[in-house]
Amino acid sequence: MDSVSMGMGGMGRRVGAVVAQQEYLLQGSILDDSCEQLLHKLRGFCDNCDSSPETFQDHEMVFTIRAPNGSNTSLRVRKSMDVLQNPYHLRYLGQQELGDKNRATIVRNCIDCSTSSDCVSFLQEMGFKLDYEFVLKGYMFRKGRMKVIVAKLFRVQPNASPEALEPLSQSYLVELSVNAPTGQEGIADEMKLFADSLKPLVILDKVDTRRLQM
Amino acid sequence: MDREEKQLEAVVDALIHRVSDLKNSLQTFIMRLENDYESISWTQFIDSYVVFSAQIHNLMKIVKNDKTPPLRSRVLFPLLLSPDIDEELMKLTEGRVQSFNHDMVPDYLRTKPELEIESKESAIVSKACNLSADQSQKQMTSANKIVNNMTELVKNCREEWETETNRQNQTQTSLMSDTTTLIAAITFGKGLKAMTTSMKASQPPVLSSVAPTPGPQRAGAGKAPATIKTNIKAAANIHPYGR
Repeated sequence: MDSVSMGMGGMGRRVGAVVAQQEYLLQGSILDDSCEQLLHKLRGFCDNCDSSPETFQDHEMVFTIRAPNGSNTSLRVRKSMDVLQNPYHLRYLGQQELGDKNRATIVRNCIDCSTSSDCVSFLQEMGFKLDYEFVLKGYMFRKGRMKVIVAKLFRVQPNASPEALEPLSQSYLVELSVNAPTGQEGIADEMKLFADSLKPLVILDKVDTRRLQM
Repeated sequence: MDREEKQLEAVVDALIHRVSDLKNSLQTFIMRLENDYESISWTQFIDSYVVFSAQIHNLMKIVKNDKTPPLRSRVLFPLLLSPDIDEELMKLTEGRVQSFNHDMVPDYLRTKPELEIESKESAIVSKACNLSADQSQKQMTSANKIVNNMTELVKNCREEWETETNRQNQTQTSLMSDTTTLIAAITFGKGLKAMTTSMKASQPPVLSSVAPTPGPQRAGAGKAPATIKTNIKAAANIHPYGR
C-alpha cells in the first residue's frame, strides 16, 4: 500500500487528501427483457426523477502486481469512454470483511483517487500487469448517499475496434453501493430497505465472492 | 335495583350500537350485490361474510358478559297494535317499517323459532338422543377425519400455488447463473482473461486477448510498446501465470 500512496504523490499532488473509506455493496442481475421495468422503477425511487437517467460507459482495467511472498495486490483503473475529459479513476478494493453474518451487505475497504491518463503507463512501469479489462455501459441512479448502477458488461476485443463490444451475458448487472468513512452505522439497513423495495424484479444480495472464485 | 337498571340501560345501549354496525354492513353488502353483481369476486363476498361473523361475535360477547343482567327475565310485549301508518316508527326505522300491525309483530318480536323449523329441530334432536354412545362416537371421529382431510388438501393446494407463482415471477426477471457470471467477471475477471499458454508471443494477439497487450497502449508513445514487450517477455520467463 505504501507504494500506491507514493505513486499518487508522483502525480503532482500531496497525498494526505486521500481518505480510506468502506464500500458497502449489494449485487444482483436482471434479464435484458425486464430491464426497462427496473429502470422505470428506479427512476421513480431515486433522486432527479424528472430528468432522464444518467448514462455512462466506462472502460475498467484491473492491474495486478505479485509480491515476492506470493500475495497479489490489484488496482482498478476506470476511464470514461463517453466523457473523455473526465480524469481516470484509480481504486483499491480490499477483501470483503468477514464477520457479521447478520449484516446485509458486503463491506470492503476502498481507496479512491483521480489521476491523469498517465496512470496506466505509470502502473506498468512500476511492475503492475494488466490482469483483465471490461467495459461497463449503462445507467446510474443516486438516492441520497446510495448509488445504483444498471449496466451491461462487455468484453474488450483488443484487436477489434473499441466500438465492437461483445456482451458477456444476456443480463444487466445491478449494483447498489455506498462509499462511506469507516464506522458508520445504519448504512447496511438503509441499503437493505431499498433492495427490498426492488424485489421481486431484481434480488440484490450479498454475494460471497470467495465462493465464486474457483 | 338501581344498579341493575343502570346496567340494563348500558347493555341495551351497547347492543343497539352493535346492531346498528351489523345493519350498516348488511346494507352495504346488499347494495353491492344489487349494483356490482357482475364484478364482485368470490373473495370480496367472503370478506363481507367475515365482517358479519365478527360483528355477530361482538354482539354475543356483550350478551354473554358477566356484568350483563339476565335479559331473559325482561319481557317485551306490545301494548297497542294499529294498522295506521306511524310517522315516528317510519323515522326510527328509516322508512322500512310503516306500522306496528298484526303482520309484522309476530316476526319482529319472535322469541321462538318458526313452526316448521321447530318441528324439524325436534325431529333431529330425538334422532340424536336415540343414537347409542358407540354410534355417536363413530360418527364424530369420521366427521373429524373428513374435516382434517379437507384442511390438508386446501393447505397443500395453497402451498403449491404459491410456489408456482413465485417461480414464475422469478424466472421472468433474473437468472442466478447470469448473476454469478457477471459478479465473477467483475471481481476476478473470470471469463475475461482467456489466458493462453502461448504467452511468450509478444506480437499483437492473433486469437483471444493475451492479457499484457491491452488496447490503451496503442495510444502511448512509440517507444513504450517496445519497452513493455520486453518486460512481458522477461516476466513470462520468470513468473509464468498460473491462471
